[in-house]
Amino acid sequence: MKIDSQKCVGCGRCQHYCTMGAIYFRQTMGKVHAAVNEEECVDCGVCERAKVCPVDALYQPIHDWPRSIRGTFSNPLAEHKETKVPGRGTEEMKTNDVTGRYRPGFVGLAVEMGRPGTGAKMPEIEKVVMALAALGVEFETKNPLTSLIVDRKTGKMHPEAMNEKVLSAIIEMLIPLDQVPRVLQAVKKVAAEINTVFSVDLTSRADENGLSPGALLAAEHGYKISINGKTNLGLGRPLAREV
Amino acid sequence: MSHTLHRRGNEENLKEDIIVFAMSAKGINDKNSKDKLQHFLRIMHRHHPVNMGDMKTGNLFSAGAENIIANVQDTSIVHAVFTSKEEVAKVIKEVKEADLGISVIVSGIMTDVHQICGQVGIKPHTVEHSLGIMGKLSRLPEDELLQITTMCGHGMVSSRLARKMLLEVKRGRLQVEEAAQKLAYPCVCGVFNPARAAKILSQLVDLWCLDEF
Repeated sequence: MKIDSQKCVGCGRCQHYCTMGAIYFRQTMGKVHAAVNEEECVDCGVCERAKVCPVDALYQPIHDWPRSIRGTFSNPLAEHKETKVPGRGTEEMKTNDVTGRYRPGFVGLAVEMGRPGTGAKMPEIEKVVMALAALGVEFETKNPLTSLIVDRKTGKMHPEAMNEKVLSAIIEMLIPLDQVPRVLQAVKKVAAEINTVFSVDLTSRADENGLSPGALLAAEHGYKISINGKTNLGLGRPLAREV
Repeated sequence: MSHTLHRRGNEENLKEDIIVFAMSAKGINDKNSKDKLQHFLRIMHRHHPVNMGDMKTGNLFSAGAENIIANVQDTSIVHAVFTSKEEVAKVIKEVKEADLGISVIVSGIMTDVHQICGQVGIKPHTVEHSLGIMGKLSRLPEDELLQITTMCGHGMVSSRLARKMLLEVKRGRLQVEEAAQKLAYPCVCGVFNPARAAKILSQLVDLWCLDEF
């Protein structure tokens, strides 16, 4: 995002909308105006969409690769060309009744880097991806972040992307149920080595009591499971066949 | 993506925060799903949600209900937010009877959602739980503000805006309901719950002392 310093009247109405706290004030030729710290801005577009600027000074330039990564991952209105899904993830469990992506005996594990609200730089994301790759996890191919992993065995990410920052990016994987404690242990370990936050979640095909085998196993190993969560009601058709 | 998961809160305020949403599966049942998604949204609208939306169009406050419904596409993900499980039970019953054939997901306190499923005769298919936040937790704002900002899973509601709205209410420049609606505005999907935000702000107005920031 950029702010036209000629138009800007320095009212500051946009500043609080910035998800990254990247809008600041400076003086140019004696005029105080708002400006955007381009290193910290993730091109989410919130400040512009808020429509609070009285003089339309905010504008979003169209960026080429690799800067374009920021908007693609941070602005939910950007639809990924590969997945046709807007946002920064996949359909994950939302359509599992139809896709059958998560089968009994397997668990979907997602690590959403930078959520909530801190954002994540690519080197931080790479640290976590590499820690998971070392365990041999299967990264979700339809997830846009996976396309930035150039070596899925080591977790090495695209070198040209390393200067970029995103509001959040989801490392999405499918693991056998019995691997949940091992993978969570690795996630917990790498959490101590990064300078941002991430949110973690588990998806399971519900058991006969409607419960999540993955979450039950994680709880057995001392992880705190949220009281709230998401439930796919199984109303989609055709229902996925389960092998 | 898990845009309705990871909502922070306690049992008391999360019980008034239930999101019902629907989408079709790309490449499987998405073709001509627009009508079904619109039907779904009309059911939602009849039950007076506190917010609703489709990220392609906007939310109740930025776009309005009729616009949201009219602009639904096959690839839309459509949402509505409710504050009572009794109302959600009625909504789900109606959705089940409509037999739309699209995926329907409910976010809320799991025991409440599963109680509703039992009442309506639905067996939960797939479940997703948050394991919370890990990493450099010192970078996070106060948990009270996170309870507000995490109601937009895409992170469109800044903690700075939440703090600013609280300050405006404390100064008497905004009513809590107005502040909550301003907070709901950036959440393009319409999954932000302004009623819950207003309640949280009301509590914080009495408890927090704020200076300029």
